[in-house]
Amino acid sequence: MTPAIAVAGLTRRYRDQVALDDVSIELDPGSITGLLGRNGAGKTTLLRILAGQEFPSSGDVRVLGQPPAENEPVLRRMVFVREDQAYPDIKVGHALRAASWFYPNWDARLAGSLAADFGLRPKKAVKKLSRGMRSALGITIGLAARAEVTLFDEPYAGLDAVARQIFYDRLLAEYAERPRTVLLSTHLIDEAAALFERVVVLDQGRVVLEAAADGLRGVATTVSGPVLAVEDFTAGRPVWDRRRLGSQASVVTVGPLDEAARARARSLGLDLVPLTLQQLVVHAAGWPAASEAAEEAEAADPEGVSA
Amino acid sequence: MSTWIKVARYHLVQPIPYLLVTWWILAFSFGVNIAIYALVPNSDPAGAGSVPDGHYTGALCSIFLYFLVLGVNSIGRWLPFGLSLGVSRRTYYAGTALLAVVLSAADGLALAGFQAIERATNGWGVQMGFFRVPYLLDGPWYLTWLSSFVGLTLLFVYGMWYGLVYRRWGLIGTIAFVAAQVTVGLAATVLVSWAHGWTSVHHFFTGLTAAGLTGLLAVLAVALLAGGQVTIRRAAI
Repeated sequence: MTPAIAVAGLTRRYRDQVALDDVSIELDPGSITGLLGRNGAGKTTLLRILAGQEFPSSGDVRVLGQPPAENEPVLRRMVFVREDQAYPDIKVGHALRAASWFYPNWDARLAGSLAADFGLRPKKAVKKLSRGMRSALGITIGLAARAEVTLFDEPYAGLDAVARQIFYDRLLAEYAERPRTVLLSTHLIDEAAALFERVVVLDQGRVVLEAAADGLRGVATTVSGPVLAVEDFTAGRPVWDRRRLGSQASVVTVGPLDEAARARARSLGLDLVPLTLQQLVVHAAGWPAASEAAEEAEAADPEGVSA
Repeated sequence: MSTWIKVARYHLVQPIPYLLVTWWILAFSFGVNIAIYALVPNSDPAGAGSVPDGHYTGALCSIFLYFLVLGVNSIGRWLPFGLSLGVSRRTYYAGTALLAVVLSAADGLALAGFQAIERATNGWGVQMGFFRVPYLLDGPWYLTWLSSFVGLTLLFVYGMWYGLVYRRWGLIGTIAFVAAQVTVGLAATVLVSWAHGWTSVHHFFTGLTAAGLTGLLAVLAVALLAGGQVTIRRAAI
């Protein structure tokens, strides 16, 4: 099976900074992947290169099996919704109409119903839209294009909670109806976590974590309770973070916990709380072994039951 | 080709700047000039059908300058949105140039038509030369059409190139672009002087007909088109 997106050794250098440093990822067709990382981590640059809007300094980029830059047969099967998309001086209806001409699978009914859900009025000038409404326009185009590869860069900046929920619901409904490859960058990690089948975490232009989302859910656990019990329980386990408050301690331990370990924790009176995706991402940069740990977890427990 | 047409149509999704504003500008400029000519008493003995000296307004340049603006604007924020719709740079450029050519041909034809009316009405009744420009646009209708067509295309394409240079290299780059053009002009001047060639240059231009000049401008337009093509190739958005 040809990966929908295959990037190998991708580096993008700007004059005084390396935006992407030897990035390699592969995404199968028909999956939703979260692209996570801090501001300036290189997410937008990666997406722009995938969409053929920016050029790599070196490395190999393939979308649907071919290099995307200036490759119209590939570009037509891909849509990229940018947080900072520039729109010409046109109305919402114009933007949707123009988009409908270029995407072979464009669904006008879907565009109309999404616009109605978001409260986007076709007569409104794009430059007069609020930040959130501008995001809604991007989302409408991104979903109605029904493109095989759908790239979203922080698509809901400025959108309220209700509109974000509409986005999640519609994305999943669309995805169920017409599976496609979705790569979505976001800072609202926990909110979007349920969408992701895989996550890729970038930090300072490098991939620090790439794993199946299920594998990640059991990969690290916060163990808290009395200091001595915590020390006892975590001895010999890889520990990633330690906090102490009086007689209580809280330690983040890495690696899946089997049933025996959980029983022992209970008998020691310890609380076990799996790390959320967001917490994982926060620490992923300082923990390069995260990918391997996630893979191990996945291999040991392919059904993700431990989650 | 069909995607070229889609790109041309994309620019026309908001048709007012391309189809109406041109004529608003020209109508306003025409109105101002005809008001002046109607106010100033005209006792020039020149016969019907000819324009007395100094009665050429030259205001027709407004439409040409507007085409330069349209060209710059056709890149501006239209390029990033266009590319985000899955169009390649190559196609975007070709489609936009196609729009420039078709629009210039149509508007050039309209200018030739207005010129015919101007001749037939003895300069709109006030011996005004608005659509007639001495030497440049003063021949038969088809030459007026051809020269306007080439001139409008040239300025549109030139504007596109400015838009692309600005897109890639920003303000400093655009200033450098202007400086480079001035430098090329200066170099040509110096070369001609060294070669003591001013007499032949003079002969060349005095011997040049409006049709010949149109041909030269067409060559220049093609050169500018090629320059823009090279510039857009690595433009990032």
